[in-house]
Formats: sequence, C-alpha cells, structure tokens
Amino acid sequence: MSARKWLLIAALLTPGLGLILVLIGTVVYIAVAQSFGFYTITGESGFTTQFWSDMIGRKLFSRSINYSIYVGVLSAIFSVALAYPLALWLRKPFAGSMAIGAVLKAPLLIPGLVAAFLFINIISYNGIVNQLIQWLGFSDAPIRMQNDSNAIGVLILQTWKNLPFALLLLTGAVRGISDEVLDAARDLGAGTWARFSKVIAPLTVSGMQASLVIIFIGAVSDFSFQVIAGPTNLQSMSQLMVTFKDRGDWNSAAVVGVSLMMIALIGSALMAIGARLMLRRRLT
Amino acid sequence: MGGKSLLKRLLLTAAALTVGTTAGFANDLSGMSWDQIVSQAKEEGKVTWYVWHLKDDLRRAIQSFEEEYGIDVVIPEGTDTGNNEKLLAERNRETGDIDVFAASSDAFQTLDASALFSPLTMLPEDDGRVSEFGGLDGGDYIRAYWGNQTGIAYDPAQVDETALPQTPEEIAQYWDAYPNKFGFNYQNGGSGPSFYQNVLRVISGKDFSNGEVTDEKVSALQSGFDFFNEHAENYLITTSNSDSITRISDGELAMAPAWEDHLSGLQKRGQVRKDIKFYIPEMGMNGGGNGVAIPRNAENPAAAAVFINWLTSPETQTAFNRDFGTAPMNEAADDSFALVPAAQRKFRAEWAAQPFQNKVADLFIDNVIFER
Repeated sequence: MSARKWLLIAALLTPGLGLILVLIGTVVYIAVAQSFGFYTITGESGFTTQFWSDMIGRKLFSRSINYSIYVGVLSAIFSVALAYPLALWLRKPFAGSMAIGAVLKAPLLIPGLVAAFLFINIISYNGIVNQLIQWLGFSDAPIRMQNDSNAIGVLILQTWKNLPFALLLLTGAVRGISDEVLDAARDLGAGTWARFSKVIAPLTVSGMQASLVIIFIGAVSDFSFQVIAGPTNLQSMSQLMVTFKDRGDWNSAAVVGVSLMMIALIGSALMAIGARLMLRRRLT
Repeated sequence: MGGKSLLKRLLLTAAALTVGTTAGFANDLSGMSWDQIVSQAKEEGKVTWYVWHLKDDLRRAIQSFEEEYGIDVVIPEGTDTGNNEKLLAERNRETGDIDVFAASSDAFQTLDASALFSPLTMLPEDDGRVSEFGGLDGGDYIRAYWGNQTGIAYDPAQVDETALPQTPEEIAQYWDAYPNKFGFNYQNGGSGPSFYQNVLRVISGKDFSNGEVTDEKVSALQSGFDFFNEHAENYLITTSNSDSITRISDGELAMAPAWEDHLSGLQKRGQVRKDIKFYIPEMGMNGGGNGVAIPRNAENPAAAAVFINWLTSPETQTAFNRDFGTAPMNEAADDSFALVPAAQRKFRAEWAAQPFQNKVADLFIDNVIFER
C-alpha cells in the first residue's frame, strides 16, 4: 500500500480514533505521571517511586484491591448467571414477553446513587424489610442489615443494576441459535443442562465474555454503591482514590487510579479467557 | 553588545510583567476610607462567594445583605475540595472568579494565606471579630464567620440524661451496657474523627497540637487502638455525619458524635427529630470553624470587603446562631440559641495539627477499622 493510501486511512480514522487516543491518552499519561511524582498540584514535581512504594506497603491498599476484585468478579458472575435463564425464557416471544423484558431492563434507567439510597431505606433498621420480618414473626427485634461486612448489599445492587446489560447481550446471542440445533441436541439425548453447557453456552460465549468484561470493569471501580451501602470496614479502590484526592494527595490518588486501570485491564482479559477455557474444557 | 541589549530588554520585560501582575493582584483598598470602599462596592454591584456548605440556606441568609447594600451575592455550586483546587488553579490569573473564599480552619492550614489573600486591614475596627479558630491563626488575612462544635448527639428517650458518659472509660461502660447503640463515622465528615481523635488523645496522654510525627507519639497511640478493639463488638461504624444522626432519629442508635450546627440545621428543617439532644463530653471534643478571605486577584474586592464586614458582624453572627445553631464568631453576638449551655464550651478541644492528624487517621483505619 502506498504512503498516500496510508495517509488517507489515517485521516479517515482521525475523527474517531484520534479523539479517543487524545482524550484517553492524555488522562492515562497524566495519571501515570502523577503516580511517579509529576504534575504535583501543590509542592514540587519530580520523578520519584516513593508514592508507589508507600502505597504498596499499606494494608489499606491491599485490602482495597482484594475487595474491589471480589465485588467485580462476583457481580459479573451473578449478573451473567441470572441473565442466562431469563434470556432463554425470553428467547421466543410470548404474550407479555415484551413487558417483562422492559421491566427487567428498568434498572438501566435508574441512577446507581438513587438505587443505593432506596435500597438503604428499604433495609434500614426500621425499614419495610425489617417490619415485614417482624410482622411475619421471623424475628422479635429488627435485624441490622445496613452496610453489612460481606458487601452482600453491594453485590445485590451491582447484580440488579448490571443484569440488564448481560440480558441485552445474551438475549441477542441466544436468539441467534436456531431451533434445529437445539432439537438435534435433544434428539441425541442431551438433557437440559447438557443442552445449555454443550450447545447454548459455547454458541453464546462471545456475548458471555462481553457481559463479564463490561460488568467487571464497572463493578471493580464501584463508588456510589460502596459509599452508601458498602461495608464500613472496607474501601473500594475508587473510594480510596477519592479519599486521597480529598486530602489533596493527588499523587497517591494517581497510584490507586493507575492500579485500578491495570486491574480492570488484566482482570477483564482474565475473565474473558477464563470463560472461553472453561467452555473448551467442558466440550473436550 | 547585542547580548547585553537582549539581556536588558528581557530584564525590563520581566520587570514590567512583575509590576503588571502585582498591579493586577493589588486590589489595594488600604488607602481608601470605609465609606469610599462601600461606595466602590456598590459600583461593583456583585460579589461571588465560593462556599461549599448549606448553599441553599446561605443563599436565603444573604438576602438581607443584598437588600441593605444593593450588591448581588452569587454562591456557585461547588465542593470544599473543588473550591480549594479552583483557588490554587487560578492563583496566577490576573483576575480570578472568586471574590470571597470560604474554607474550614483545617483547609486554610494547607494554604499560604499571605501569598493567596489580600489583608483584611481595610475592615472597620471590631475587636469582636475572630481570626484565631480551630487551631488556625488567620492573622490579617482570614476572619471566622462560622463556628461549629463537635459533641455527642443522643436520644433522650433511650439515654439517661443524668449519667451521660464523659470520659473514654465511661463511654466504654456505655458500649458494654448498651451494645451497638453507639455509632460513629471515620469518613465523610469530621464528627466521628473528632471523637476517636480525642479518645486517642486522652488515652495516649500526648499533645496533638504539635503536628510533628514522631515514633514516640505514634507508638503511644497503640493503647488507644487497643481500647477501641477491645470493645469493637459493642459499637457501630456509620457511613457519615448524616448517617449517624439519621440513625439516632430512626431509633436505631441512642448516641453518636455529631456537629452542633449540622444537628441544629436538620432539626430546624424538620429532617430529624427535634427532641434529639447534644452535649460536649468532659474529655473534650473538637471545635472548628470556617473562615473567609479575599483572593488577591478578586474581581470585586470592595464588595468582598463589605460582604465580609457584614458576614462577621455581631448581628449576622447572632442570626446565624439563631438560624443555623452555629457558635457565633463575633464576641458581641448573642449565642442564646445554641444547643449546648455556654458552660460546656470549656470542653472544646482543637483539631490535631497536620501532618499528625492525617497520620492518626491512617493508623486508626489500619489498626481499628480494618481489624473489625
């Protein structure tokens, strides 16, 4: 290809790719540079690995990483696991399926912060869930559910919020499987689980990977659910980043930010590869 | 010869720029009488106040100033850290957007006041105005306009008012007697940090007013961390100042650290129960305050000065005490609307100085919160 053609291709790509590269590239560059001591807002700028070495030695940082990965991985798995049966159920239109699909996608329209506050109101000490539990006689006193230390509240919110993403991606993939393929599997003696694990899952693996990756990246960097409904003895990485930033410690905030970007990148790749390998092993 | 000429030209240019910049930042009202300043303020006609808290309420509160002087007060949306960053980001601009900058005593301690702000020596003489608050000496540059105090909010329906816990030992006894009826936050607000910081100060016996971080001071904190860990099962960690008060109002908690002005404001707006009470324990809890200053590059310096004069006057401070429950920041103001009797004010403590304060917060998270 001639240089002129290369130039033409580059020019055609510039409006889209160029914008992405410039916008994302500058942000990533500044974050990485700040984590190494440059672009200090107050004080002197200059290369140092001090911020990284201080951060890596802190319990606060390692717990924050573990916690964010825990929320990211489980949210992705739960959302996809719940979306599959729903996608299969809605595979063929039936009376009311449109309405059910619309209701299931409603969480997309509700901002996370609003959902978190609503959730806290419902499960609060004197909220309706506790009132119901006492009315049914399951407990004499209210049960303290707010900000539980296992982050079950955050996982419920993440799954509720992300299930529609997985459902959108998986519904399209499941609808792409023809009846003949499933009938053939049934004729060959495949039960429900075998049809799912050996036919449906492998044929929809791209949708599953996309769902896992998108949900993992969103959940691993959770802020709004965590600050409202999350455990008080743990901090997500986004929360930690904001804590440092609020103190004016932009360099430490950048260390957390760069780490979060790396975890999102590596973690999503591992989840996508893991999903494919798991299915391949099941098929062999 | 050519080199010398170039050098001379560069020096002259630099000098001209310096003079120009200084002139741009001067906003010098010192040669003017107060009447002249008021007259210039009315010509300017507008003052932009960067304040981060209770913005809607403050927009209502400043209406009397607008009516009295015919000067519009604009309060933009923004957070404390956002406003702080804006001040720093535009410090070298000839004319900035901020006419009056508000910050907590803590935040002011991180700023170089003489480099960033104009002296407030143009204000009319008033010995009642406060420049030393929350461990900050504002000198000629900063005046307090908002006094606040941390203490413990309690539900009188659940707590014996004649036996309110006053010391760390008594608080621990309360925790043991009434498990999980006491909660405090360690983030999203300063009431909880004031509580644990004072418990650590009392138990360690160390001076927190010195910001120096030494091994001796750090190791002395361990006994305080042990105190919290021994009773960890019997108290709760809340998510914020607001969460603590809301959970008292809801009946879940009986006691929690709170800000006096925050609780008073919520009660006045009917957002929490009006019967919740507040006290300052004898072990001491931190008092703080917010101050105002005029950036050197303020666009409307005269209007800013007139506004600060109004804001820190006895009349406005009395009104703030009545409407917001603040501790007045003018000695001539009336503080009869406060939630606590004046006698309890003697238990007011100062915030630990920086960087020790941040060190204490980090260690508390690592040694207490993460051990739960």
